Amino acid sequence: MSVRVKGTDTAIRIRWIPRYTALERYLHWGHTLTFILLTMTGMVLFFPFLAPLARGEAGQFMRLVHRVSAVLFAAVPVSYAVLQPRRLLLTLKELRFGRDDIGWLKGAIPYYLLGRHVDMPPQGRWNTGEKMNAVILVSGTIIFVLTGALMWFGKGVLPVWVFQAAVIVHDLTMFATVSMFIIHFYLAVAHPLMWQSLVSMRYGVISESYAREHHAKWYYGEEQAKKLYEQAKAKAAAHGKAE
Amino acid sequence: MGKVAMLYDSSKCTACRGCQVACKQWNDLPGTLTKNRGSYENPPDLSPYTWTRIRFIEKYEGGQMRWLFLAQGCMHCTDAACVKVCPTGALKHHPMGLVTLEQDLCNGCGYCTQFCPFHIPRLLTDALTGKGKSFKCTFCMDRVTNGEKPACVKTCPPGAFSFGERNEMIAKGRARVLYLQKNGYPNANLYGDVLLGSLGRMYVLLDKPEGYGLPVSPVSPALTHVWQDWVQPIVSVSFGVTALAAVTAFFIARRHIRMEEVE
Repeated sequence: MSVRVKGTDTAIRIRWIPRYTALERYLHWGHTLTFILLTMTGMVLFFPFLAPLARGEAGQFMRLVHRVSAVLFAAVPVSYAVLQPRRLLLTLKELRFGRDDIGWLKGAIPYYLLGRHVDMPPQGRWNTGEKMNAVILVSGTIIFVLTGALMWFGKGVLPVWVFQAAVIVHDLTMFATVSMFIIHFYLAVAHPLMWQSLVSMRYGVISESYAREHHAKWYYGEEQAKKLYEQAKAKAAAHGKAE
Repeated sequence: MGKVAMLYDSSKCTACRGCQVACKQWNDLPGTLTKNRGSYENPPDLSPYTWTRIRFIEKYEGGQMRWLFLAQGCMHCTDAACVKVCPTGALKHHPMGLVTLEQDLCNGCGYCTQFCPFHIPRLLTDALTGKGKSFKCTFCMDRVTNGEKPACVKTCPPGAFSFGERNEMIAKGRARVLYLQKNGYPNANLYGDVLLGSLGRMYVLLDKPEGYGLPVSPVSPALTHVWQDWVQPIVSVSFGVTALAAVTAFFIARRHIRMEEVE
């Protein structure tokens, strides 16, 4: 695909590489929508200043919306697992953490905050931050669904301490996932370096140059990426000495 | 008027269940059809329609059965777990020491039913949609705030119930316990004068509380405090901090990152 730069004759050619299947994007947005609905309707029970919205008829409506959204929230990942089980396994396998992740974390703050290019170890299809996001959201979803089902169907059936514990665990999970959501939202929507994220979640592709720079292990393959990284590091060191 | 209390004297109760009937009558609660379960105790449990009932506890001593009676209902705790966990403010403390439940505000979440140490509030709910309301003894707030006694107290033929200023009720209960202890009931005790910051419903018991199935030292569940005193404020503050950090990071990043150089 080529993009014409506004007001000039210059055309930039961009090669796009597929990153997400259509179902994965549907999973992402389905989960986003239901997550926002669940957060909004759940918050009214959590924050005392929102108590007026939790009262009487309004509160009953909130709880109904929460339940309907909860069913969809659970159904979306299940449908992904049923329809594309191999993709799901592939994705979960990619969530392994290793030494490269520590290097990434060290470089992340100067890079994402100040735009300073420090050397960051090559990343797979997911970088460390994306993996952390995925781990928290996937495990959060599982805990949400389990504790939610306990509170929905276990009231008066299970011992009260189970219900009480489920309330607290549900709240703490909300804390972890919503915190992650705020960071995720900031990086995806507002961060200047991350403009491709929305493109990839809409069209399922990222540009070749972005993949090369940010997901080298995925683009080149693990060994080649490592070799290139070592070469670049050696070159930079030599350059530093020469100066 | 300061705090009021109800004192139920188990030694005077004849289990006529006039209180159950008066409660239903005053609060306009329907009767429910029940089955004989081999006990005079009826209905079998509190429900959204039954806010008080007499428990018939069968106690066997030396081959002899003896009944212990107990008027079960909301204890109107000073440290009420239900008030603490209620997210709508439907459950409130009244200055007279009642724990009131405002039906219009209730959204049927049922937290009160799960956190009450006495398992008193009952939920009338649709299990699927969650639409519902919580119910419990209101201490006949409409009567009490107008200088009347609660319906159950008013109707009691043997005078097992007394009602009035809380300290007076505590004194009366203690005196009665002393009398009972001297007259053949060594285990007699007053239940509720010091529990949970003192209860609005106190019992003169002929046997130890556990004999009546009452919790010996009820506490509002530890998780109530973890949730309300720790989780909620800490989470509120950290959300603010996270959001603020994201906004700050945005402005710092905008100053430092030159998009012309970004691929």
